[in-house]
Amino acid sequence: MAVGERIRHVDWARRTAGDIAFSADVRLEGMLHARFLRSPHPHARVTRLDVSAAARATGVAAVVTAADLPDRRYVHHGGPLSDRRVAARGVVRFVGEEVAAVAAETREQAEAALRLIRVDYEPLPGVLSVDDALAEGAPLVHEARPGNVAFQFKRQYGVPPVDGAVAVTKRARFRFGRQAHACMEPGSTVARWDAGRGKLEVWTSTQAPYFIRKEMAHVLDLSMDDVEVHEIGVGGGFGAKSKISDHEVLTAALAMRARRPVKGVLDRDEEFSTTKCRHAFDIDLESSADAEGRLLHRTARIRVDNGAYNHSGPSVMGYGAMLLGSQYRLDGVGIDAQLVYTNHHPGGQFRGYGGPQVIFALESQVDELADGLGIDPIDLRIRNANRAGDTTLAGWRIVSSALVECLERVREAIDWDAKRARGGSGRGVGVAVAVHVSGARVYEGAERSEAGVDVGLDGRVRVRFGGADAGTWQRTMLAQVAATELGVGVDAVDTVMMETAETPTDLGAWSSRGTYMSGHAVGRAARAAADALRELAAGKFDCRPEDVELAGGAAVVDGRRVAIGDLVGLSDRQVDGELRVEEAFVTTDADPFDPVSGIANLSATYSFAAQAVEVEVDRATGKVRVLDVVAAHDSGIALNPISVESQIIGGVTMGLGAALGEEMVYAEGRHANPAYLDYALPRAADVPPIRPILVEHADPNGPYGAKGIGEICLIPTAAAVANAVAHAVGVRVRDLPITPDKVLAGLIANEGRRRHRARVWRRPDRWWIAAVRWGYPRGLHRLLHTHGTRLARRRTAPPVAELRRPTDAAEAATALAADRSARPLGGGTDLLPARRQGVADGRVLVDLTSVVGMNAVAESAGGDLCIGGAVTLADLARRPELAGDEALLDTIGSIASQQIREMATVGGNLCQQKRCWFYRSGFDCYKRGGVTCPCYAVTGDHRFYHAAIGAHRCQAVTPSDLATTFTALDASLAVRGPGGTRTVPMEEFFSGPGETVLGRGELVEEVVVAAAARRRATVLEKLRLWEGDFAVASVCVSADLADGVVRDCRIVLGAMAPTPYRARPAEDLLRGRRLTGQLAERAARACVEEGHPLPGNAWKLEAARGMVARCLGRLAEAT
Amino acid sequence: MLIEIQVNGSAHPLDVDPGERLLDTLRDRLGLTGTKEACGRGECGACTVLIDGRPVVSCLVLTARTRGAVETVEGVADEALQLRAAFADLGGFQCGFCTPGQIVRGVGLLREGLPPGEEALRRAMSGNICRCTGYVGIIGALRRAEEARA
Repeated sequence: MAVGERIRHVDWARRTAGDIAFSADVRLEGMLHARFLRSPHPHARVTRLDVSAAARATGVAAVVTAADLPDRRYVHHGGPLSDRRVAARGVVRFVGEEVAAVAAETREQAEAALRLIRVDYEPLPGVLSVDDALAEGAPLVHEARPGNVAFQFKRQYGVPPVDGAVAVTKRARFRFGRQAHACMEPGSTVARWDAGRGKLEVWTSTQAPYFIRKEMAHVLDLSMDDVEVHEIGVGGGFGAKSKISDHEVLTAALAMRARRPVKGVLDRDEEFSTTKCRHAFDIDLESSADAEGRLLHRTARIRVDNGAYNHSGPSVMGYGAMLLGSQYRLDGVGIDAQLVYTNHHPGGQFRGYGGPQVIFALESQVDELADGLGIDPIDLRIRNANRAGDTTLAGWRIVSSALVECLERVREAIDWDAKRARGGSGRGVGVAVAVHVSGARVYEGAERSEAGVDVGLDGRVRVRFGGADAGTWQRTMLAQVAATELGVGVDAVDTVMMETAETPTDLGAWSSRGTYMSGHAVGRAARAAADALRELAAGKFDCRPEDVELAGGAAVVDGRRVAIGDLVGLSDRQVDGELRVEEAFVTTDADPFDPVSGIANLSATYSFAAQAVEVEVDRATGKVRVLDVVAAHDSGIALNPISVESQIIGGVTMGLGAALGEEMVYAEGRHANPAYLDYALPRAADVPPIRPILVEHADPNGPYGAKGIGEICLIPTAAAVANAVAHAVGVRVRDLPITPDKVLAGLIANEGRRRHRARVWRRPDRWWIAAVRWGYPRGLHRLLHTHGTRLARRRTAPPVAELRRPTDAAEAATALAADRSARPLGGGTDLLPARRQGVADGRVLVDLTSVVGMNAVAESAGGDLCIGGAVTLADLARRPELAGDEALLDTIGSIASQQIREMATVGGNLCQQKRCWFYRSGFDCYKRGGVTCPCYAVTGDHRFYHAAIGAHRCQAVTPSDLATTFTALDASLAVRGPGGTRTVPMEEFFSGPGETVLGRGELVEEVVVAAAARRRATVLEKLRLWEGDFAVASVCVSADLADGVVRDCRIVLGAMAPTPYRARPAEDLLRGRRLTGQLAERAARACVEEGHPLPGNAWKLEAARGMVARCLGRLAEAT
Repeated sequence: MLIEIQVNGSAHPLDVDPGERLLDTLRDRLGLTGTKEACGRGECGACTVLIDGRPVVSCLVLTARTRGAVETVEGVADEALQLRAAFADLGGFQCGFCTPGQIVRGVGLLREGLPPGEEALRRAMSGNICRCTGYVGIIGALRRAEEARA
């Protein structure tokens, strides 16, 4: 039986060989390329939109704006909740909102044409936070929505609170910020208008072809039958692709207008900043329990940042509220919920659908109740767990629940009892649980799923299903179901999905409905086909149909067998040599959502999970490391354990991302971190080997006993981490993600440590800076942002016209000096992205990697290490000469990825530009736009990547990690210019953040590390948010120690100041003294004495202090 | 610019713009669409190819200065058969979009011998983001493929 077995993905061979086509891989005759013009303002009136010049531009075939489209809103949730049109019509409401679209022969031509579109904006006051939006007299995002409230309700489940039995009450505010889906495949669509047939053909990265057809037909004034979706690979969804996005419709509109196929592929910035994201929730939560640990009542006040449009906001918030009324048995739940419009890009569907946000608050507070009651957190959860037969306060009928068993399994697997006894040790364990639907009836038609099963004369089986598999292995599961019912091998089953002309209707893969709905639908269709085959076999063998067994591709009765393909030949129902069956499954076990009472049995069954996490917290830096995760899941019978386990592991990883790093950062309504580089989602080394545990009991309603798995796996994770951190160090973080700054702040508060105070009054050189910073929130920022940026200079890199490959350094310097538009090119790992980001230009690139000698590494007779400027980081690390230079090797190993290290050069690493996310992400900032522009870091999010020492108007830091270590090693640079070579000490190389003293025509020919410095003991500590990240703070200490006495030393802090910062007072303190623990602490404190932090990054001084102390401790230990 | 590049064992004479990315050359000119673009900035590893056996992100390689033998997923797929099967057996892929880059990176590592220990291997694979699987299946597949090679 194929169901329940560990079976490889049916497409595994093609999928792992790169042979599966995704939308961007589609090539059609005459295909054009689309680009989209987006609003630069969070809120503005469009007073003029003139596309005539763009329409005439070279290669342009079509331009579309709202004026070219029917004036209709997307259906979305329908009725008054529908609030978004295709492309902005008169008003833009978020940065990135689509204003126009262009299709041209090439992507570059389309891009160039966008710059010819004249748009006059009249900026309107915007609301950039929920508090702003709810303030008295706040500007309105939508004129028809007073108070900026998109949707709200007050609701009481069960009974109101009664004081009598209450033993413990906990109350706190919890915050879950915006998280990006960050699918690996960016939104991609190809559309073709077949004028002859009047059909719009679409290949698009979607989880739900049904909604593509429904919405496209509606907004483009077509019938649903006129929109045909074709089968194509889908590179991850997580909810992002469960409903339509604007770029999909605009690509189709361009194709209809141009009468040619059009491809629209989002770039990574657009994917991050303009598609939907997880809604940010603020939850004021109060929970109570009696002395025996019975949960009594909870009260929640929920405020949700909807962004500028509704999308699924109302149902996300509504579902979250139902969860509050469903997780655990309790007496009552009071909810006051508001969905609030802001001028941020809209939230939307995201795996978990309000669950992660609500459960983070709820499950964190359960632990606080357990603390208050002195009851073990697992025991408390077991005491209140939902059990089969329960109906929750929100009306969910629990037909199966192994939640208690899940809790027992994680207790055992993580060695809970032993580890729980060691609280406060820096290591801790935490647990959290979740319940989730298996397909919710939140849409009309969601209770229905249809499927087709065909059997051919050749005995092959075809499953036809209208949903899309964005990576869930649904396709494989459907083949398993058909194979099981028809008695054939999975390899005899073909599956057609998405192809709407061939498949019956299904609403798609969302709400964890894939397994439940399609498992039933295909099961029904396959059983109907099997019944037909049994009838045919019974006719042939003259027996009863129920005596016929289907196995091995044949019908078998009493040792007689006939191939099922041959039976098809006997059927008078065969069509084109196939026996075709279509069936519908309609669940009767779930009720439609009732928006008035909020009480409904939303799903036919519910999945449960318990996850336990072990963490280690670095008390010096606040960094949390996850050591272990065990995730026990009751999703019924796993129809394919490979894919169920993979879902769990992947979901937990996404949950760990939300718990520890992922957060979308905004300033002035613009998204500041639309890059994997600035978005701390987990890389392989950031997460432990997560251990899934399948707690399999057949669910009475689920297909083959199965329940949903896709979403629940990430829902409890963040709370489990927060609970583990609280257990490890006694710091309760209620505002995700749990980044080092928050943990360290908690540790400092708990331990009564004195925080760093910048005594600016003693330092006249800082008075001016302090005054400017004082002025920023008091009007200066507003002035510069509103008026100064009008004078901002903006750069667009011209195409590369020439690539020069000089073979000698003098020739390279001359080439660079001779041409104003010449730029040096090392590995290109910074220059090429920087050109796209508008912070680098140049028509001529001078390739330094071809210069003979600059690729060399040599050791002089005296032991000096000479490193050519064009040596790649990877080559350098492989050189035998470096075997003893451990700090240098550690530094290289901490930089980016092996792929980048194979390309990036030593000179390029030193010369790379600042990484400040405002600078890189299109903000008209001081460094990018000029002196009239503000530094967005002063009032923006500067917690990680900005200076805490010595910054001036720009708060960025020099990002090079090599620079930190080279400075500690007294390295010197041989700088080649058109007039010859000069030597620049590393310490004097930087003139500002990511800015060097190199003049025109100059390049770094060689870096020399003297033998004397190499003989010193050198150690590196680097704090970063993810494996390969730039330093948040780093410390390199190089010391000459003899008999425990410091003869000489260098202490350099990286990412703390505009340039690598040498802590001379600390060095002086150490020199000539015995390195004791006490002296190390004094020296570490001295390192940060000159700190002048911004409000949000003072913690970095404390972290750096701890890292210096650790470095000195390591040195003392080593000698 | 008239150049010649070696891809998967074949020489391709091409006339390219000096700013053309190897990723575009592979996908648009040579039809090798197994190499995927996910970020275009060297941040995710989806477009990883090998040049002379070394992994690089082809979105940041200029075709005009590409020297050495380029290998894409199409070129290493046969060699990687056991690795690919192990990906399937252990849940090392879901959507499959990052998978070609993971496979190419994995082949490069297997040729030189996997770094010992879980953490070292995870660090070596950290240039390839996977948003679906949580990496356990990928790391496990590499170890299994290494055993199969031994």
